[in-house]
Amino acid sequence: MLDQFQRFGSDLFYRGLTSSHGGNMSVRMGDRIIITRTGSMLAHLTENDLIEIGLHEDDSNIMLASSELVVHRAIYLNTSALAIVHVHPPFAVALSMCVEDAIIPMDSEGSYLFRKVPVLHAETTVGSKEVAKIAAQVLREYKIFMLRGHGCFSIGPVLEEAYQWCSSLEESCKIGYYTHTLRAAQAAISQRGLGGLEYRKHADDYQEW
Amino acid sequence: MYGWTGKMLRVDLGMRSTKVEQIDEEILSLFLGGRGLGAYLVYTEVDPDIAPLDPENILAFCAGAMTGIRVPTGGRASMSTLSPLTGTIFDGNSGSQFGVRLKWAGYDALVISGRADTPVWLEVDEEGAQIHPADDLWGLEIPEAVGQLKPPNSAVVSIGPAGENRVLFASIADESGRCYGRGGVGAVMGAKNLKAIRASGKARAAIADQEIADFVKYEAGKMVKASPRTSQGLPEFGTSVLVNLMNWYGVLPTNNFQIGEFEQSEKISGERLRDEFLTKRSACWSCPIGCKRITKTKKEKGEGPEYESIYALGSSLGIDDFEIIIEANYLCNRLGMDTISCGATIACAMELVQRGALDSELAFGRADLLLDTVKDIAYRRGMGDQLAEGSKRLSARYDMPETSMQVKGLEMPAYDPRGMQGQGLLYATSNRGACHLRGNMLGPELLGAPKMLDRHTPSGKAGILIVLQHTNAVIDSIGMCKFVNFAIGDDFFARLMTSITGREYEAQDLQLAGERIWNLERLYNLRVGFTHEDDTLPPRFLDEPLKEGGSAGHVVHLAEMLADYYRFRGWTEDGVPTPRKIAELGLAELAKEQSHA
Repeated sequence: MLDQFQRFGSDLFYRGLTSSHGGNMSVRMGDRIIITRTGSMLAHLTENDLIEIGLHEDDSNIMLASSELVVHRAIYLNTSALAIVHVHPPFAVALSMCVEDAIIPMDSEGSYLFRKVPVLHAETTVGSKEVAKIAAQVLREYKIFMLRGHGCFSIGPVLEEAYQWCSSLEESCKIGYYTHTLRAAQAAISQRGLGGLEYRKHADDYQEW
Repeated sequence: MYGWTGKMLRVDLGMRSTKVEQIDEEILSLFLGGRGLGAYLVYTEVDPDIAPLDPENILAFCAGAMTGIRVPTGGRASMSTLSPLTGTIFDGNSGSQFGVRLKWAGYDALVISGRADTPVWLEVDEEGAQIHPADDLWGLEIPEAVGQLKPPNSAVVSIGPAGENRVLFASIADESGRCYGRGGVGAVMGAKNLKAIRASGKARAAIADQEIADFVKYEAGKMVKASPRTSQGLPEFGTSVLVNLMNWYGVLPTNNFQIGEFEQSEKISGERLRDEFLTKRSACWSCPIGCKRITKTKKEKGEGPEYESIYALGSSLGIDDFEIIIEANYLCNRLGMDTISCGATIACAMELVQRGALDSELAFGRADLLLDTVKDIAYRRGMGDQLAEGSKRLSARYDMPETSMQVKGLEMPAYDPRGMQGQGLLYATSNRGACHLRGNMLGPELLGAPKMLDRHTPSGKAGILIVLQHTNAVIDSIGMCKFVNFAIGDDFFARLMTSITGREYEAQDLQLAGERIWNLERLYNLRVGFTHEDDTLPPRFLDEPLKEGGSAGHVVHLAEMLADYYRFRGWTEDGVPTPRKIAELGLAELAKEQSHA
């Protein structure tokens, strides 16, 4: 179990999907949950960073468990998920603040995998009972959602799949961002010509080379 | 003046006189109130050569700028004195409503000196203080005494029979067991023939910028809700949540710290307390966390026990009968005794018996003797009279000082330092003796708050501990609870202080104030006669590795950490603040005045 947490934790950080101490992961094993320790570094997880706690009821380990435990529990209790990943992918978080209620991937892969990713709003977004309630509902229909300005929660039967949704969503958001940026550049070029953006002399002439 | 009231009420019980004085705002600003103000008062007013139970000692109840103001955990206050148990400067800190009501009566401080000829109780309100006879209250347990004095909209703290009998670890408490618990502050009150104090009033301290204060409170509230410790662990279990965790780490003191794990920990765990004994969760005034437990056994009901009490009256005595532990805790609350020192002194006696030095029925695991032993201590009956002097004196009497688990005379709290190097340094250097509330390393060494450190390495611990010692001094002084520090830090405290008092505080200003308070306490202890040789631990922790459990094989590497600690503090190798450090903290004039006094 530890090696899986370490593998995907490391990937999540080094692929830029979360910050040094951000994000959390869990798996459900019957009536128990294994969740990352609050404040742990996903890229450097050790045995002491995996906290076992009840699915239904708190025990002493509540002092160590991730602050998002309340959301993880609600998801497990209301969906068929056996694994959850929560991270703060920067492109997806930025985009979540620029759309109303959903991110619609433009790229083929994202569209195929998600079609759309709901964006939920809440006043308090960390360890929030309000988020727990809406997350559990939305994940009955979707495998991932964005919490506006915060991050995504994704589910799967195993950690790898939950990780995949985060990774794919971020890729779609990146593609969307690059596409919009390049389109804006193209629009500028068509208005002003390449010379408007280029630093080189005769930039427009290279078309004729 | 904002935040503080700027007034101090003085009562001389010997002269039966009272008067109200102004407090210089500069003093409040430098020492913040609460523990800091108390340290200033003890430093400037209590001759270090007196005996703590002499009439010349003072009891200084001090509120902070936040006390009585609706900020998260703004319900706390301090009580400072010269401790009869440790001989050090000492302050107790309590979530009893007494501090709130004292502030609402219009005072930042109530300073009591002298000794009444006969038992009295004290009434404090916006008009000042009145001294009343208390012959009919003397001898009563705390809930009964408080019950006779407490009309609505007031708060009463009292001593019990233990304080009257000058048990050296007697406490001062309210009817529910919220107490100024450690160091024998109740014995000082008993020595003054003062049974109880009632405070009432409706004055509210003015707030400099209500709008900003509300915003910072809102943000602080969000942080409290986001932390699993303050929003889930402590509200659900209270501090007893730590029993199983500490046992897992191998730092749950068992049989007077001879072992680091208790096989029957499940039987005395927070989980069991919740499932079988809890009747209600409760909170101190203005506290969003709510770690207070109302519990019930087959025979009675009461408050607690806290984690520290479970260790002291349970695992450290080898006792796993939770009913008896809970009832012993109630008994300590009613009789007015610190559960930690009470239990730890009994544990010391048990080890003396184990080693054949003391002839008594007491033995590890003898739950059947616990309640009677606690009573005997409070009333100083039989062997109880010896135990009432605390473990340091008890072990010395039998020429086995190594059986007393204390520093500077104060019995240890519930964390075996062999599994927490920084905690060992904390115990050794704390100005009031072995205490976990002077800069607790529980957060960084075991809970990962704010970050998880390697608990077994001594490297780097001194620097971190110093910061925590200052932060804790600040929290004690501004009138908030240390638990809120699991969720918010110095920057929040600074913003709150600025918005409430109208004086500009930044985080580093508060750290400096904390350092000032810490050094002033140190300077006082040096005047009393303490030296660097007192900054140590019982030999068990330095020489005897734990044999089993999560911390097996470790001892405390104190010498290495202590050298760093003195150097980082800007003290001499002998642990004395240098003139430069004293000047830097603005204490030069104060130190000079006292050296001439």
